[in-house]
Order: sequence, then C-alpha cells, then structure tokens
Amino acid sequence: MNLKALTASFKSLKIIFIISLLLIIIISALSYKHINSLSQSVGLVVHAHKIQIELEQLISYLKDAETGQRGYLLTNDSVFLEPFSNARAKVNESFYSLKTLLSNKTEQQKNLDTLYILINSRFNILTSTLRFNPQNNAELIKRRKNMLLGKDVMNNIRSHMTKMNVIENNYLVESQKKYENQNYLTTIFSLLVSLFSIIVFVVSYLKISKDLLALKKANDKLIIEAALTKHAEEIGNFSSWQWNLETNTLTYSDNQYKLLGCLPNSFEPTIDNYLEFVHPDDKHIIIEGGKEVLHEKSYPTAFYRIIRKDGMLRYIHSVSRLLTDKYGKKMLIGVNSDVTEQHLSNIKLNEINRELKESNDDLSSFNHVVSHDLQEPLRKIETFISRLKEDEMQYMSEISKKYFEKIDSAAHRMRNLINDLLLFSSTNKGEKIFTDTDLNTILKTVLQELSQTIEEKNADVRSAHLPTLAVIPFQIQQLFTNLISNSLKYSKPTIAPIITIEVSLSSDKEKLFYQAESTKQYYKISFSDNGLGFEQQYAENIFMPFKRLHDTSAYPGTGIGLSICKKIIENHSGFIYAEGTLGVGAKFTFFLPFQ
Amino acid sequence: MKLYIKYNINEACKKIVEEQFEKLAIDFDMVGFAELNIKKNLTGIKLKQLNNLLNNYGIEIVESKKSILIQKIKAAITEMVYLEEKLPTSKVSYYLAKKLNQSYGYLSNLFSEVTYTTIENYIILQKIERVKELITAGELSFKEISWELNYSSLSHLSTQFKNKTGLTLSAFQRIINKRRNNND
Amino acid sequence: MNNESLNILLADDDEDDRLLFEDAFKEVKVKTIVSLVNDGIELMKHLNASIENLPNLLFLDLNMPRKSGMECLDEIKSDERFKNIAIAIYSTSASEKDIEETLVRGANIYIKKPNDFSKLKKILSEVITINWQYHTSALNRDNFLLSI
Repeated sequence: MNLKALTASFKSLKIIFIISLLLIIIISALSYKHINSLSQSVGLVVHAHKIQIELEQLISYLKDAETGQRGYLLTNDSVFLEPFSNARAKVNESFYSLKTLLSNKTEQQKNLDTLYILINSRFNILTSTLRFNPQNNAELIKRRKNMLLGKDVMNNIRSHMTKMNVIENNYLVESQKKYENQNYLTTIFSLLVSLFSIIVFVVSYLKISKDLLALKKANDKLIIEAALTKHAEEIGNFSSWQWNLETNTLTYSDNQYKLLGCLPNSFEPTIDNYLEFVHPDDKHIIIEGGKEVLHEKSYPTAFYRIIRKDGMLRYIHSVSRLLTDKYGKKMLIGVNSDVTEQHLSNIKLNEINRELKESNDDLSSFNHVVSHDLQEPLRKIETFISRLKEDEMQYMSEISKKYFEKIDSAAHRMRNLINDLLLFSSTNKGEKIFTDTDLNTILKTVLQELSQTIEEKNADVRSAHLPTLAVIPFQIQQLFTNLISNSLKYSKPTIAPIITIEVSLSSDKEKLFYQAESTKQYYKISFSDNGLGFEQQYAENIFMPFKRLHDTSAYPGTGIGLSICKKIIENHSGFIYAEGTLGVGAKFTFFLPFQ
Repeated sequence: MKLYIKYNINEACKKIVEEQFEKLAIDFDMVGFAELNIKKNLTGIKLKQLNNLLNNYGIEIVESKKSILIQKIKAAITEMVYLEEKLPTSKVSYYLAKKLNQSYGYLSNLFSEVTYTTIENYIILQKIERVKELITAGELSFKEISWELNYSSLSHLSTQFKNKTGLTLSAFQRIINKRRNNND
Repeated sequence: MNNESLNILLADDDEDDRLLFEDAFKEVKVKTIVSLVNDGIELMKHLNASIENLPNLLFLDLNMPRKSGMECLDEIKSDERFKNIAIAIYSTSASEKDIEETLVRGANIYIKKPNDFSKLKKILSEVITINWQYHTSALNRDNFLLSI
C-alpha cells in the first residue's frame, strides 16, 4: 500500500471515529431515557400503593373511631372515647397526605372531596350517636336509627374508596402499559444501534489492522529502499541532497560526504562548508547557481570540479529540482554525480575521434592521390607505349620487343591495380541505399554479364531460389560477379565448371560463432565450385587485399576481388568465410541479415 | 527570371527566311524544308544583301551543287524525324533515294565525303536530338518516346542513347533538370 | 561562320598531353585549327583577346594550377560573348561526380583522357565530327551532352 492510499485510509478512519462517537452518544441518550422512564414507572407504582395504603389507613382509622364509639356506648367509659378522638385527628392527617398524593389528578380529587364529605358525615353521625341517652328508650331508638345511618354512610365510604382504588389501579395499569410500550421500542432501537455499532467497530478494527499491516510493509520497504539508495549511491558514485528553502537548511546523504572524501556527518552541511571543497575556479558556478535558486529564476544543472579531502580532483555533475509540498513549502532536491571517469573517457574519445577523422581525411586524400595523381603518369606511360607500339615497334630488335612487351604488361597491371584499389575504396564510400531486391534478378543480370566467359568455359551455374532482401543492389551485383568470375577463373582446364548456389537459414550455433546479433535472422548463401580449390590454411588470407594464391602470369588479376566481397558483406552487416580443398573446389559462404 | 519555351525550329527558320525575303521584296516559294524557288534571277548586289541579312540569323545560302544536295538529304532526314507522325518503317535508304531521286549509294558517298559522317549516323544523331528534345519537354515517358521514334523497345533506345551520348536517359534528364534549377 | 575548318582550343597545363593532343588532330578528317594554352588564366586571357575569332570547341582540363577548369567553365558560361563555344571537359578523372557536375554547369562534352593513343585519336575524331554536325546542322546546342 502506498502513502497516498494510507492517507486516504486515515481519512476514512477519522470518519468512522466520528460515526462511532455519534452512535455512542445516541445509545447513551436512549439508555438514559429508558432508565428514566423505568424509574418513573416504578414511582407510579409506589405512588399508587401509597394511595391505596393511605386509603386503607383511612378506613382503619374510621374503624378505630367506630370501635371506640361502640366501646363507649357499651361501657359508657370515657376511656373508649380516646381512640375515637385520636382517630379523628389521624383521619385528617391521612386525608391531607391523600390530598397531596392525588394533587394532580382532578377526577380522584373530586372523589377525595366526596370522600371527605362522606367521612365528615360519618364522624358527625358517630358524634351525634354519643349524645343520645341510653336510658331513654325513645332516645335508644333514635340512637339505633342513627347508628344504622352511620352504617350506611360507612358502606358508602367503603364503596367510594373501592372505586377510588379501582381508578388508581386502572391508572397504574394504563401508565405501566404505556411505559412498557415505550420501553419496548427503546430496547429494540438501542439493540439495533448497538448491533450497528458492533459492526462498525468490527469493520474499523479490520481496517485499522489492515492499514497497520500495510504501514508496516511500507515501512519495511522504505527501510530496504533507503538501504538500496545508499548502496546505489555508493556504487553509482552519486549522492543526494535536500535544501529546505524555508528554513535554509541542507541535508546530505552519506555518500555526499564520501564523494568529498569525508566520513558521513563529519561536517555541518552548509553551502559555505561545501564550497571549501569546490575548485577555486568553479566556486562561482555554485554561488551563482545558489543565487539563481534563491531568486527563483531557475534550478540549474551544474558541472564543476571539486578537490577531495585527499587532494584528488573530481568532476561533479549536479542536477536539481524544485519540490513544493502540499503546504506550499519549497524544497530543492538534487543529485550530484561523480562523472570524472566519464568525463576523462569522453575527452579521450574525442581525441580518438579527431585522430580517426584525421586519418580518414588522410585516407581520402590518399585515394585522391591514387585516383588522380598516380594515374596521370601511368596514363602517359601507356599512351606513349601505344604510340611506340603503333609506329616504332617494327624498327625494334627482338630483345627490345620482348622487353617492350614486358613494360607494356607491367603498365597494364599497374592500371588494373589502381582501378581495383579505387573500386575497393569506393565500396566503402558512396551512398548506401538499401532497397528490397530480388536476388534472383541480380543473379540473372550477373550471369548475362558473364555470359561470354560462361559459354567459353562451358560452365553450369545452378542456383536455388534466392530470397528478396533489403540490400545495396549494385554491391550485391558486384559480390555475385566477383564470386562467380572467381570460380570461372580458377576452374580446372579439363573439367567444365559447375557453380552451385545454395540458400538456407542460419542456425543459432552459427550466429553464436560469428557473434551475430541474436535477435536478427540471417540467410546463409553459399557459392561452391569444382575448380582448383585452395588449401584451407589460406582461407582467411584470400580476403585480404592484394593477397594472391596463384602467380600472375597463369592467373592474371590483382587479388582485390574477394576483399571487395568481404567489404560488401560487412557493409550489409553480414559475415563471409571460405572453405577449400586443393584440387577439389572452393566454397564461399556468406550470411546476410533480414528483418 | 527564366522562361522555358517550346518552339518549332523549322517554323521559326521559315518565318525568319520569309521576313528577309520580304524586306528585299524578292518573290519566292518554299519548295521543301530548306529549298526555295526564286522567281526572278537576282543581281549580284541583291544576292549579297540577302546573304548578309540571312547571316545575321546563322542562315547561309548554299552554293555548291554538292552542298545543296547534302542540305537536301539533311532536310529530308530532319523532316522524316521531326515532321512525320511516325517514322517510316520501310528502309531509310529506300525512302531517301525515292525522295531525292538519286541512288542511295551516291547519296551516301557524297554525304560521308562532305560531312565526315554517314547518313545512318546522321539519322541516329537526329533521332537522339529528337529524344533529347522530348525528354527536355518532359511530356512523354521514356517508353512513350521510344514508341514515338519507332524504336523496337525502350532498351533499344536506352542502349543507343547511351552509346551515342555516353549518358543514360535518366542521367541526361537529371542533368537537364539540374541545369534548370541552377538557372532559376 | 567559318564553314571550312573547326577552330579548336585546348587548355591543359600538361605538356605531354598538349603534344599528344596536337598529334592526334593531325589524323582527324575534319579540318581543324588547333590552338593551345597552358592554364586557366592564360585561357581567359586568350578568349578575351580573340572575341572576333572565338574557338568553336574548347577542350578544358579540370586539374590546372592557378585557375581550375571548373572555375573557367563557370566564367565562360556566365559570359554572353562566349555562349557559342562548345565546351569539352578533358580530364584524367572519370568520377560520376565530376562528369555530372561539369555537365550540369554547362559543359557539352566530357572526355576521360584515354591511355592509348589510337583511342585518343578515335575519341577526338568522334567528338569533332559530332560537334561538326551541331555546327552545320542547326542542332540544339543546349542539349548537346556527350560523355566519352
């Protein structure tokens, strides 16, 4: 994973974190609400129970009052009146607390008011009952009547209380139901949210661990690359530096120090310190280059000399580039290469090139000398010989005639040598235009040109079908002419010459042997004959200019023909070799590349 | 600036000759390519005046009988090469003998004696001249030229051209084109 | 126009060549008057001095000291007065480059000096007769190209 992807990953992590935070807040809020409603629901139950208890308390106080009253009525002992009067106070107390408990319920408030009236009338009845004289029958009847009335009121109170209890219960059940519903939804929702959070957490965990792994890998790679760079710098004789333009601080790679012949970090990387090593005549290059950078004109490449700590002069090529990071901070990074070896070998190469050019110029002026200046006197010798031959030969003695013939043939031979030499050197010069050419057509032309000799010698030329190749046509024609006329010339006097031309593709082994370009394909074409042949030991000599295997009187010629063949093949990036057996025949094989 | 023109030498010459005769008010008829019939005999002075006028254009009055005949042969050959739509396929000797009403042997001997070349050579020379003109005009291909001048094949024309001028057709064309470019 | 003999001039710095040239002309059928100059400077002097009687045919050696044949060729070709002179290059070299170059620059004939006297006679005779035809038969001298 690269740095960019990592940065993106950190961004998504941030988003996940924010989402998680939100989720937790939502869950907390929901839980708070849930707990809150639970406690409210509990409070309601407690409240309802309190009301019930208080109501029952009220009844029991009433009962106490009744019991006290009855006791007094039976015994007439005023001791019994004590609970009666206490009950009255307690009822009031209880009533008050009921009133508070039911303060927010208008219906129950009304009921409570009704109850209050009922309880009051009960107490009134109880109190009035005490006033009847038990000794008086009429009074007793009245008392009885009064007590019955009290009983009715008491029943009323009971039923009223039951009614209130029922209302309170209903209310309780209803509220609880409502809370239960609410809590059910909240539970489901918080469950879902929790589930989602878990998923988010799991995903983030996986992602974070994956990123961490990638980070670790990237880090490992970075460590390896740093090591590699260090190594490469040492091997490649180059170093790198960074110039932070904001803080104007320099950082050097270890090899930057080594290039200067120093130990890493052995001095503080500043321009001034670096200038100490720069050749005095080249200091201005660095200074001006630095100025240009500061004025943001350009970020130059520089070529200058340094003197290393050990006093050695080295040539440095420095290339720099401006980097602007995403915060707009500018930094110049550069690579310094020690190009001393290249520089020196370049100088040497230029020198050699110059020499080569000089010797080429010499050669071409030599060619000019040969073609013009040498020809002049020779032409005159020949011309005067011809004049003498025409007019004066008849007056010569036999011996003079013989010598004269020798002079003539020597001059003639020299003429041929010069012409062939010119032909040989012109094989190298002139336009080399490669055109797709059918070699069969060239062969046909050559055979036509040589037809007279072929007929005279009764020769048989057998050729396989030749390919069409990109060649310099007139040179290949020259090649074929030379090879065939060579075979015709060195044929056995008694046997009709047979010249066989064969074609095949070169094998890898052959290509390897001739150090040919392995990517290229070569046609292997051979011309073999049944002529005089030659000893294999001369197979290389015969391609050298003016090397001859036969004496000139028997086989006239200059010995340039095969060297021209070799040159032509070389012009075509090919190879040629000869094989021969004395008295059996010769075989010339050449390779021509094709695309 | 250079202009290249195409012109008919014969027409031009004829026109010039006519103009000179008119200047001197001499009545004449053109009989052939280079033969004129003068109606009245000319005085010595008038003949000299005419000769001077014509000399300005490189035209001469041929005097000797032999020269007249040579002129007639040349004219016949020029006419044959330039004016005939297509060269006669019959023997040239027969054509000339008939045209000039003389034996070919006589014409041939006379021609060689005076011009140091043979009639055959002269015909070839004229044909080559015509070929050069056609190449220079640049309208016909070599093949068409060979057909136009009744050569048996293009290679026959090429061989003859090379033999007579030492140059190949294309070398000639190249040199002519280069000369033009140099002059422009 | 002198109808009787051809006026010929040779510019060549080589004494032997001038000698051979002169000798060869003795056997040519066409009547000729042969003049000789030793180099380019002398040639131009000669031409300027004989405006009235300019050569019909000039043989020009290329390789001459002081002023080369090529320089003379350019000079003659650029002078209106010399437009009727047919120019034959007469040189040792037979390079395609020299042949084409001189013909393009306006030479009419290119002769490679032969190495045999009888060949020389034959070539000169051929050149003279052909050139003679151009003089006597109103042939187009602009087209007159010959390479031997």
